[in-house]
Amino acid sequence: MIGLLEIRRRKVQFALIALIVTLISYLVLMINGLGVGLNVLAGSALKNFDADAIAYSDRAGISVIRSELSQETVDAIGKTPGAEESAAIGYVAANYRRDDGKVNSAAFLGYDPGTIGEPKTTGGRALTAEDRDGMLADSSFLKAAGLDVGDQVEITIRLERRTFTIVGEIDEGAFFFQPAVYVLRPTWDAMKYGGSGDDTPAASIVLLKGDDLPGKKGEGYEVYDKATAFANIEGVSGQQSTVTSLRVFGYLIGALVIGVFFYVLTLQKIPQIGVLKAIGASNLFVFRQILLQVVGISLIGLAISVPLAMLTDAGLRRLPDAVPIAFTTGTFVTTAALLLVTSIVGTAFSARQVIKVDPIIALGQQQ
Amino acid sequence: MTTTLVVQGLEKTYGSGDDAVRAVRNVSFETRPGEFVALVGPSGSGKTTLLAMVGGLLAPTGGRILVNDREVGGTSKRDLARYRREMIGFVFQANNLLPFLTARENLLVPAILGSTDKKEAGARADRLLEELGLTKRRNALATQLSGGERQRVAIARALMNDPRLVLVDEPTASLDSARGRQVVESLIQEVRSRDVLGIMVTHDMAMAELADRVLEMHDGEIREHRAGKLADQVPK
Repeated sequence: MIGLLEIRRRKVQFALIALIVTLISYLVLMINGLGVGLNVLAGSALKNFDADAIAYSDRAGISVIRSELSQETVDAIGKTPGAEESAAIGYVAANYRRDDGKVNSAAFLGYDPGTIGEPKTTGGRALTAEDRDGMLADSSFLKAAGLDVGDQVEITIRLERRTFTIVGEIDEGAFFFQPAVYVLRPTWDAMKYGGSGDDTPAASIVLLKGDDLPGKKGEGYEVYDKATAFANIEGVSGQQSTVTSLRVFGYLIGALVIGVFFYVLTLQKIPQIGVLKAIGASNLFVFRQILLQVVGISLIGLAISVPLAMLTDAGLRRLPDAVPIAFTTGTFVTTAALLLVTSIVGTAFSARQVIKVDPIIALGQQQ
Repeated sequence: MTTTLVVQGLEKTYGSGDDAVRAVRNVSFETRPGEFVALVGPSGSGKTTLLAMVGGLLAPTGGRILVNDREVGGTSKRDLARYRREMIGFVFQANNLLPFLTARENLLVPAILGSTDKKEAGARADRLLEELGLTKRRNALATQLSGGERQRVAIARALMNDPRLVLVDEPTASLDSARGRQVVESLIQEVRSRDVLGIMVTHDMAMAELADRVLEMHDGEIREHRAGKLADQVPK
């Protein structure tokens, strides 16, 4: 096709456009990767819960931090119509010292072994009822703390220091932007409330498995699906709207830049378009050539930017302070498809110009 | 298949009211099959406007044009594009080839527009390049060709889709007289050998005299019809 031949013959001109497309698509990919990465950091552990729904205190406003449930309420939640299995989970944040001396926080989740709240271990072993000072640590925690299964780690909470032994490794991700650490529920109770007795809350939330659970309410609790629970994690909605805005601006700027480049190219080629039309080319034929060029250049740009983003991702993962960036096949496919669509939309200016060209200019006459 | 062209009372007025300019006034003529006609006259005499109307690039404001008894004009842009694609071969002034294509690829453009079979179009392009002495330059980019070579490629391009009318606009404008004459002679030979019609707009009287007939225009009217004085000198 003529449009593709022009790309081959005018390499420098089109290489410059391809470079711009590459940079824009790389930028949009990185923004999307950042969006996914922040999502992972915000609450992948919540998404990974083996549950169909989550019950919160009805006074917590769907916040795990604010939710506190008594043993009586936990028992009532387990009897919610449709609930087949349930597991009480306690949440508390505590500090640990990293390998490099910096103090960070981790999300301590208290659970009962044998329930649906128990995470799968990828190394070491699971906790038993006797492991009051044992923990299952997420791989991100081990990496940041420079520790391994079998090592001990000192945790600071409520003006106290407590030493835990890492008995197993898990791959559950993060909770509230902190690495997830699983301990026994009595241990969690001791960390958060000092283990003072029956009048303290028994759990923060309850995981539920069963049918048609979201939307159900009972005395002192309400049940939500995981998507709602995730969207209500503190800071997630604000963070996601920021990332979405960046993403939308990225696509818009991409469409505009590509559109303007091809519009200028079209303006430069008006005499040639006039000749093509004079010898019988239709508007559609001429526009198809421009469209082919846009698609060709966009595909070249994406063919460079996608591996570049993958390389950047691999490079960032090696850094000790991991940048919250993550890519999925879906991220690449969606971003590439949307960039392709927006660049095609950007050629609307050129289409209008093509239609306006009068073939009479081929004879040197004014339009 | 021979081609007839009948122009009857053709008019073209630009603008309206006091600003109206009658570029072509009541022009009528007929051509014989295989005839090569030169349109001459001073600048602004209406010859290019007349050529544009015959070529379906401009709509007349009066009169009619019949090609093989079918009226041109008054149809949609799409129909006019098809008319130009199927019936007309244009040779424009210099530098109207696509610069990023080779000589041969420029010839293939009308074939692509006309959806001609790729193999058949390639063979036809090679034959035309050979006829016009361009075989050795077939893979040269348009920008690498000399002025004369470019015009010969333009002639070959005009003949690619086997047109019934070859319309030529100032083909020698950027050439010296020797090369200009070669180009016009090639053009006339190709038109005669195909039994189609050729109409050439030119300022150059020496080139016009090589045509079978010379139509001289002044102020939008044809003032003189006569035979070309040097028509016999074009090799058969």
